[in-house]
Amino acid sequence: MRDTAVSRFARVPPVSLFAMTTDELETLLAQQPVALLHRLARGRVHRHFRAGKRRLIELLLQHSSQNRAGLESDLQTLIGERHSQSESGSSSVHHLPAITPKKASPRGTEPESAETAISLSGWLEGLGVPSPQPFVPDSWQNEALSALNETDVVISVPTGSGKTYVAVEAARRAMEDNRTVIYTSPLKALSNTKYTEFSRIFGPDTVGILTGDRQENGQAPLLIMTTEILRNLLYDAASGEIDVRLDTLGLVILDESQYLADPERGVVWEETIIFCPSQARLLLLSASIGNPQDIADWLTSIRSTVCRLVRHSKRTVPLRAGYLHPNGKLTPLFRTLGIPYGHPTHLHPETKRLFLEYEEETLPSGRPRR
Amino acid sequence: MPPSIHPVDLITALRQKHLTPAIVFLTSRRACDEAMETFDHADLVLPPARQEAIAVALERITVQHPSIAEHPLIPLVRRIGIAAHHAGHLPSWKIAIEELMRQGHLDAVFATTTLAAGVDFPARTVVITQSSIRKSRDFTDLTIGEVQQIAGRAGRRGKDHVGFAIVTPSPYIDLAVLTKGLTGQPEAINSQFTISYPMVLNLLKAHPHEQIQGILAKSFAQFQLNQRAELLEQKLDALHVQMEPFGPRVCTDWITQWHTFDHARRHRHMRHQTHRSESPEISARLPFLTPGRVVGLGRGRGIVLRQYRSKGQKNSMLTVLRPDSAVTECPVTGVKEVYDRTYDCAETPTYPWCSTDTFDRLSHQLEELPSHVPVLPILVSLGIEPLPDAIVQSLGDFPCPTCPSRPACQKDFATASRLRQEQQRHTKSIQALRTSLWHRFQERVEVLQQFGYLTPATQLTIDGEWARLIRIDHSLLITELIRAEAFTGADPSLLAGVLASLAHDDDRPGAFPRISPGLSSLLGQVRKLAESLSPYEDPPLLRADVAALVERWVADPTLTWIGLCRLTTMAEGDIYRLLARTLEFLSQVQTLKVTHPGLAESASQAITLIRRGVLEELP
Repeated sequence: MRDTAVSRFARVPPVSLFAMTTDELETLLAQQPVALLHRLARGRVHRHFRAGKRRLIELLLQHSSQNRAGLESDLQTLIGERHSQSESGSSSVHHLPAITPKKASPRGTEPESAETAISLSGWLEGLGVPSPQPFVPDSWQNEALSALNETDVVISVPTGSGKTYVAVEAARRAMEDNRTVIYTSPLKALSNTKYTEFSRIFGPDTVGILTGDRQENGQAPLLIMTTEILRNLLYDAASGEIDVRLDTLGLVILDESQYLADPERGVVWEETIIFCPSQARLLLLSASIGNPQDIADWLTSIRSTVCRLVRHSKRTVPLRAGYLHPNGKLTPLFRTLGIPYGHPTHLHPETKRLFLEYEEETLPSGRPRR
Repeated sequence: MPPSIHPVDLITALRQKHLTPAIVFLTSRRACDEAMETFDHADLVLPPARQEAIAVALERITVQHPSIAEHPLIPLVRRIGIAAHHAGHLPSWKIAIEELMRQGHLDAVFATTTLAAGVDFPARTVVITQSSIRKSRDFTDLTIGEVQQIAGRAGRRGKDHVGFAIVTPSPYIDLAVLTKGLTGQPEAINSQFTISYPMVLNLLKAHPHEQIQGILAKSFAQFQLNQRAELLEQKLDALHVQMEPFGPRVCTDWITQWHTFDHARRHRHMRHQTHRSESPEISARLPFLTPGRVVGLGRGRGIVLRQYRSKGQKNSMLTVLRPDSAVTECPVTGVKEVYDRTYDCAETPTYPWCSTDTFDRLSHQLEELPSHVPVLPILVSLGIEPLPDAIVQSLGDFPCPTCPSRPACQKDFATASRLRQEQQRHTKSIQALRTSLWHRFQERVEVLQQFGYLTPATQLTIDGEWARLIRIDHSLLITELIRAEAFTGADPSLLAGVLASLAHDDDRPGAFPRISPGLSSLLGQVRKLAESLSPYEDPPLLRADVAALVERWVADPTLTWIGLCRLTTMAEGDIYRLLARTLEFLSQVQTLKVTHPGLAESASQAITLIRRGVLEELP
């Protein structure tokens, strides 16, 4: 009896809590009063108030498979809160919760936020610089590179996942086979950045850049240009004014391929892909889009080989969303630590309150927009 | 509470929580510049060591891009470690900021959302202050893809464990757009395939006309159209199954048959009803109340000018000529007597419903009318009025009334005809989806034939051969200008000026008061031609101020970049982009060396003249 009481109220250091096994978690949950479990289940378990304690623990454990860390940190907060309450409660005769002044602690004023939602400190945890690690390509990067040996490849991955690595490696391999590589980007500014970057990687003699009125190192095996310039080259080749270099063309990399949907310039990407010589491999790099399979299917239907789609939606560096109120108060945007994909309404209660307040004060009619 | 957080407070808050370096996305360039200004008097000064590091890094960049050496923002950036980055800046300055950010010297960059798409520099944190973006004058909500593109800048691989996307509200922000954007699946992208004149010329140069349909079929546009067509085909198949119980009956095409029969039936029914609303006495009179008939009304007599039935009027109506040449309207029921006398009446379709001669004669005859005129005896048949012959005839033609499958037809007609209509609609749309690109291509071909770039046999004419090398916007206008010899003898500065006004598509105002008479008359000519071409090609903005600006830059080699910027209110970055776009257009004109040597020479001179100073730095 005494042992359980100690373990129930002991302030367990977060590290040990986060490393709990399922059995340990289950025991810990079983030790908690059912009221606490109900608070923990809010927003996690549907109609939790109808379930008994056993069933509730079962459901919570089931749910914890999705967001174990969130559950554990919330549980910790709740236990901590209970602990502090029972301390203040023991000093008073009644078993009523102690009346604390409203401003006493920001956590106390918003009990809801502590229940199911992540705390600010939890949200900010893990911030920092990772120790330098040798670069190991992700599996999708390897997959794309090996697929490129045989077929065209479409890559659709979130921004900042390391598409450039694939482009660089693919270009290196093609150049090792004495093939010409063309790299296109939608904007001159990006072309310039890539020119500098690739010159740094491959050496300035290997990289050339083509613009409408100027060529720098036009005979280099790796050529950077805007997509329009490549389209013009392909048209000239098609009408007989053959650029000899197109025969040795081994790889065409189209960066930012989501420009295919640009109202004014999208057509240029289509023309380029349609007229791209069949002996050259196509590598389309794109940010996350909704229908990359369509693009791959399209390429398969018009090119000689079956196009391979490499996609994933997981970010290399995980993202967290926050909300900064004009008065300088920072809160997590969502209830969960990470982004709750597919649940746009899972806002952090504190954020919800602050934003409503903001809307009421700033909107001229004083009426929320939606 | 302020409508949005003060930039200084924002940066302080970010620094305090170790959320720097950060990119702060703001609505407009002006917002970025204003945010920078707020730091003028704030005492957020970097430690000297970091200031020194920025200075060293900037010096290294200056070696490559000398144009940033004297940039007015350098002292501020150095002092606070924060910079602005938007399209109003010179590319070299933007490159410098990107480089500083990449090396980790800056704590924050204020940027417009265009940066999200254009440049590749990540940070630990992005701050989002808006939920909409200005797209050609209007503000539209950010798409899921755009929000993720913006948020995607957060978190540097190898430098951060986690990235942060922080929303801070500003007026008119819609939080739902952003939360949906952060948590949702990015939108599917759709083809924006358009068929331009140079595309047609280039395709026809390389491929015979009959192969083109196959090439167009290779586009993503056609791929997506086919996807839609396949969906419709599935629906069509489903409809086909649903139609099975409604196959051929006694007659093969019973749906049409029943439809016509039913229509005829209903038609008869409706006619019948209108006749019924009049008493037999009245309907018996109607055939006699023709123009020229003398009738007796409640007061006096008159001559009928016309008989009509107007919508909403229950009774048949008459227009009657009364004594003293008055023309009145009265219902047929108002006729007391129909007299046995008619006069000739030349009818006209408008008031007074008969020719002027007739009108005068009738008024005269009405006054001359003897006091007693015999009444016309009219037999009233009390039986049901027989159907008009035509309808009886057609109803008799139908086998339906006696057909054994009549009840079934009657019952199924509504469903079957709806299904068949859907079938027809789908078939039509499938056909349209399959052939629409080809039709659009053909339309362009016809225009090019009309202007003489293509022969009737869709071969390129001499003009077509060189026109296909102009592969830019407003290509038809440019080739027509060349054919009209508008540029003959024009010096490089005039050519550059006109092409600049064609190339520039930004409606941000800029001001340049003086414009040379040569340029203004040439622009007037261009404008006139552009208007005449407007059915075939959208006319360009043709801004005179940008034309004048570029003309000055080309005509006066002593003009410095600073001097040029002082001539206008346009931002440096905009002027740079204007000149870069003009270069692009000029380089297309330059390719016409063989057919238009003078013009190509002029263009290449203009290119050399434009490429100086800042424009020399980047390829």
